[in-house]
Amino acid sequence: MMSRIGAFIARNRRFVPMSVTAILSVVAYILGAIFYPGMRDPQVFLNLFRTTPFLLISAVGMNLVILTGGIDLSVSGVVALTTVAAAALLRQGWNAWVVMGLMLLMGMALGAIMGAFITYLKVQPFIATLAGMWFARGLCFFISDDAIAIDNPIYCLLGQTKILIPGLSDPKTQTGPFISILVIVALLVLGVATYLAHYTRFGRAIYAIGGNEQSARLMGLPVERTKVAVYTLNGFCSALAGIVLSIYVSSGHGLYARGFELTVIAAVVMGGTMLTGGEGYVFGALFGVLITGVTQTLIQFNGRLSSWWTNIVVGMLTLIFIGVQSLLAAQKGRRAAKAGDAALQAQRRRRLVLYGGVAGLVIIAGVVISLIAGQTRNGGVGNTPTPSTAACQFRPFRDQEAAKLATEGAVLVYERNGGPDCIDELFAIYPDGRVVGDNGVRTIEKQLAPEEVETLLGNIAERGWFTDEIYNTWHTPCGQCFEYHITVKYQGQEKSVTAVDGGTDAPADYWQVVSLINGVIPKFMDVP
Amino acid sequence: MNRSPKKDTSSWRAITESKLFFPLLALTLILLVDLFFVPGFFKLETKEGHLYGNLIDILRNGSTVMLLAIGMTLVIATGGVDLSVGAVMAIAASVAAIMMNPVIIGVKLPPDLLKFINDPNFTYAPLWEVIVVTLFVATICGLWNGFLVAYAKIQPMVATLILMIAGRGIAQLITNGVRIQIFYEPYAFIGSGWLILPFSLYIVAAVYLIAWFLTRKTAIGLFIESVGINARSSFFSGIDEKKIKLLAYTFCGFCAGVAGLVTSSNIRTSDANNIGLNYELDAILAVVIGGTLMSGGRFSLLASLIGALVIQATTTSMYALGVPANAVLAIKGLVVIFVILLYSEQVRGIIRRLTAHKGSLS
Repeated sequence: MMSRIGAFIARNRRFVPMSVTAILSVVAYILGAIFYPGMRDPQVFLNLFRTTPFLLISAVGMNLVILTGGIDLSVSGVVALTTVAAAALLRQGWNAWVVMGLMLLMGMALGAIMGAFITYLKVQPFIATLAGMWFARGLCFFISDDAIAIDNPIYCLLGQTKILIPGLSDPKTQTGPFISILVIVALLVLGVATYLAHYTRFGRAIYAIGGNEQSARLMGLPVERTKVAVYTLNGFCSALAGIVLSIYVSSGHGLYARGFELTVIAAVVMGGTMLTGGEGYVFGALFGVLITGVTQTLIQFNGRLSSWWTNIVVGMLTLIFIGVQSLLAAQKGRRAAKAGDAALQAQRRRRLVLYGGVAGLVIIAGVVISLIAGQTRNGGVGNTPTPSTAACQFRPFRDQEAAKLATEGAVLVYERNGGPDCIDELFAIYPDGRVVGDNGVRTIEKQLAPEEVETLLGNIAERGWFTDEIYNTWHTPCGQCFEYHITVKYQGQEKSVTAVDGGTDAPADYWQVVSLINGVIPKFMDVP
Repeated sequence: MNRSPKKDTSSWRAITESKLFFPLLALTLILLVDLFFVPGFFKLETKEGHLYGNLIDILRNGSTVMLLAIGMTLVIATGGVDLSVGAVMAIAASVAAIMMNPVIIGVKLPPDLLKFINDPNFTYAPLWEVIVVTLFVATICGLWNGFLVAYAKIQPMVATLILMIAGRGIAQLITNGVRIQIFYEPYAFIGSGWLILPFSLYIVAAVYLIAWFLTRKTAIGLFIESVGINARSSFFSGIDEKKIKLLAYTFCGFCAGVAGLVTSSNIRTSDANNIGLNYELDAILAVVIGGTLMSGGRFSLLASLIGALVIQATTTSMYALGVPANAVLAIKGLVVIFVILLYSEQVRGIIRRLTAHKGSLS
């Protein structure tokens, strides 16, 4: 029986890395569904696709590039540039379809230029695409420093149309599990690329170049043309991913998609494609993206682990897949070198090293698990830090109440805790100018002019509220400081920030925002 | 670099073939632009015995990339690359900060110590301990990369990609996701202190001297070059290429650790998300501008340092010209393209033909 399985694996060795990823993501999801009942909802599964269409599109393009033995670091820059350029053109009143066409052309042009540099000037792919990434990302800030919102009807239609799953949902009430048009686009790209890679001459040339460029040239394959075409195709995919991202978040900004290229490369590697080129399947990109999504979902459902764990898990998974790949390569090499005794010994040594690596992994996993256990014992990560004894007993933020106010139509929710008087006040500002404050004991109201609210929101947005410059500055409470939790909704964007004053390193603009808000809210002392 | 087999006595040729020629040319071009377009760019002044000015700024802000470039040169010379230096910097900064201010992760301090947390003279662990442990951790990171590349035979780009992705997660794990502020004054001196010149420059000089001594006063430099040119034949000629690679990556990790110390003490916080972000790219670029080929082989540490200064000079000049901070990236991209063109064989051929013409005239 075992030998039969062994023979089967040996025959289909090429599929092993891809299948390992697929099986692992399924197992991880099932385990998650057992531990967290919330994950049994079919919508959660569909969200794996719904939240990552841009990643899938980019991974498909990157997969082709890596199959030729190259690499493209420019994806994140091109994606960001596409979102900003599209948003800027749409703001000028251009037609959405024309904008999309232009963006795709721009992406292809950038890809073609980088491809030409790599192919004809023999520049290292790494360096050429790095320059491309910097160039594209820098251009974003020549267009706009701030985020630009998109309110184009076609973009909204594309982003918000629900495609219901037949058999699972109710078509009459439009409820039930659904996916978006963007997912269909991504799957379409995947299908076309799979066809291109495995059923056309172009695809065969890609694999041949990745296997050995010199012999591909000697076989008379159009090496130069194919390489430029692959980078052009990836430029197209990056631009498409950028369009999809701008539809998904309905805005454009130069700081979007930072470090995106790493996520994409990791997804491709986990999908079973060798970074040396020539081996792997385009379809593997889907599984690479899926396992990234499953990791994120698991971490979200766990709730205690912070999002940085995604990085660590993805890094470890990449390591495991590279281990699997080199094991396969070693097997192949052993078969080839059966005759040579010295080679056999080398193989044995390599296997020893590999086992060492696996043992190392087990140790790392052990450390990680004990760390998690330790943190759970300490009451979990990200809990409110315990205040020092002398100061005010901080009350936890009323997050749910704030979120409820925001969904009820408040454009700005502002909460401040602590201070010398140990207060806990929650304010909500509505678009019609109504301001409601609640200090846990009583509520007060104040009426502003609607224009005042609009100016306030405009000023806040102008101070970079919706950019990455304003970050969470959660810090050790200093005893008599205020803690702030602010949610702002403006022009279709929403962002919440938690911060603590006194000895914190929040950007100056954040404190200007706080003082702006403090200027309009009513004071509790004013009311008898 | 291509060396013509027959000796050419023309000194002009010797200059253009030197590793330092192109980086120095690039640096001169950039400074020339400043000379014409930015009035007062070259002004130096002394305040309280310290030197200030744009040129000093270039040296000071470039010190991090210079540190990284020293380690990266050795790694690239072996034919590899280290993408994880930025993440290692973040890890180093986190380790250093957590040792000075461990309150964040719930270490119970006696209540009488708690009030000293914001005191510029308070630190939980003594300074030498902080530095030693930080550098040790960074060196271990480098060792891990070296092990994966040399012994597990994983492609360098992939092997270091693992730590690049996981490293920032690990750094945040260390500090529990909090940006820890550093108040301790003696630590801040590392990155922002002055002894006539910025103190970080002395650190760069020290690390450079260590690297120079290792590579030029012992046979290690020769071994590194031979491994980079052909690992297999150097193995057969009795060089243990694995140990050489391990050494290069370990040293690169050490350099990244030093760079992490300098950066974190300069901005006085451990910011696991942003410390060293994209620095690996800067460091690789500095080495490439310095004329070391990505495929490995002959290297020049000094040329890499000048390469790092070229990058920093570009950035500083752009700021001086009033280009917005984020948009500088686009200019940087163009500079890279320009440098690539300068180094491509085609352009080199043209320059060589021109110089050959001149040589025949003289």
